[in-house]
Amino acid sequence: MTDRKDQISELVEDARAGNRMAADQLVSLFHEDIFRMVYYRTSSRMDAEDLTQDIFVQMFKNLRSLKDAGRFRAWLFRIALNRIRDFYRKKSVMAFWGTTVEFDDTDHSDAVPHETPADKLIMEKEFLNQLNQFTDKLSKMEREVFILRFIDHLGIREIADTLKKGESTIKTHLYRALKKFRQTPGIHDLLKGT
Amino acid sequence: MKTESVHLNEDQLICAVVDESDLTVAVRNHLFACPACQNEKQQFEQELKILGHMAEKFVPLHRKAVSSLPERQGFWKNVFLSPVKWPRFAAGLTVILLMVGIWGSPQFETGYEEEIVQTAWESDEDQQMTTDIRVLEGYTLPEFYLDVSGETYGYFDEEFLEFVAPLEENQIHSEVIITDSVA
Repeated sequence: MTDRKDQISELVEDARAGNRMAADQLVSLFHEDIFRMVYYRTSSRMDAEDLTQDIFVQMFKNLRSLKDAGRFRAWLFRIALNRIRDFYRKKSVMAFWGTTVEFDDTDHSDAVPHETPADKLIMEKEFLNQLNQFTDKLSKMEREVFILRFIDHLGIREIADTLKKGESTIKTHLYRALKKFRQTPGIHDLLKGT
Repeated sequence: MKTESVHLNEDQLICAVVDESDLTVAVRNHLFACPACQNEKQQFEQELKILGHMAEKFVPLHRKAVSSLPERQGFWKNVFLSPVKWPRFAAGLTVILLMVGIWGSPQFETGYEEEIVQTAWESDEDQQMTTDIRVLEGYTLPEFYLDVSGETYGYFDEEFLEFVAPLEENQIHSEVIITDSVA
């Protein structure tokens, strides 16, 4: 873990100095995490792809503003959250002007059928359904903290840095989210069944 | 001991999953010593781990290559595909067209064009003045006064003019004739 963190810090320093290869390596290290993070907030593969690209472009442009290379991951996730926020703001502006953009929430519109077995599709749909039902019961902060912790695998300290809140605030929201999680039988049954 | 037989309640279990160091010393000691509570905590953590794995498993494949370089996009495509940029572009274009329209209107002609117009007008004025001077040289009095001045006109003959406004030398000669007749 420490080795990986050191490796990331080194890459960050090199990328800051203008080393494009180092920047691309950072992209390869984090693009799956960021894509997943964006996907579970937009429910659209296409939007997630576009936003992921934007996020990494922003990352490269603003790398000089990162003071502590050791906090790169939290910093990158903060960029991602801000970008997602902008995405939703634009959507609400477009909705106001009556130009809403349809976004796909099926995500298998261009999947090759034989690559995705039917049972996997069913499980995926059920998982997304149960996850959404559970997260809909949470407040905005609780949802964000829960997803950052257990889907994006950030630590408490990283979540606090990402959301610019104190650690005790993060723990309080996480505690409340977990309490509601324990009271949601649907998702329990799904997880126990795997 | 009493504390050892009291297992973790729901709240304590959740606190243990969030951050074990936030538990009281007594509860932490119990957790360390009690296999049942440890098992329950681990089961809870395992559930959350499975949730994370399933989330990773069910993320669709991203087909677009990702890089830190910005995508090159044509200007017009960038403007018209963006729901925010094209209204701004249209607003900016409208402002520019309005400014061009206002600037180009006659009441705002300034600078070089105005100078040309001014020069042309002054030139016309000078020409008119020159014509007037020439006319005055030829006809010292304004036209209105030429009626009584005895100046020749193109359309009145001498006899008519003598009748209307006889000349002074002719008038004196008439007075001499009248005086002689009275005497």
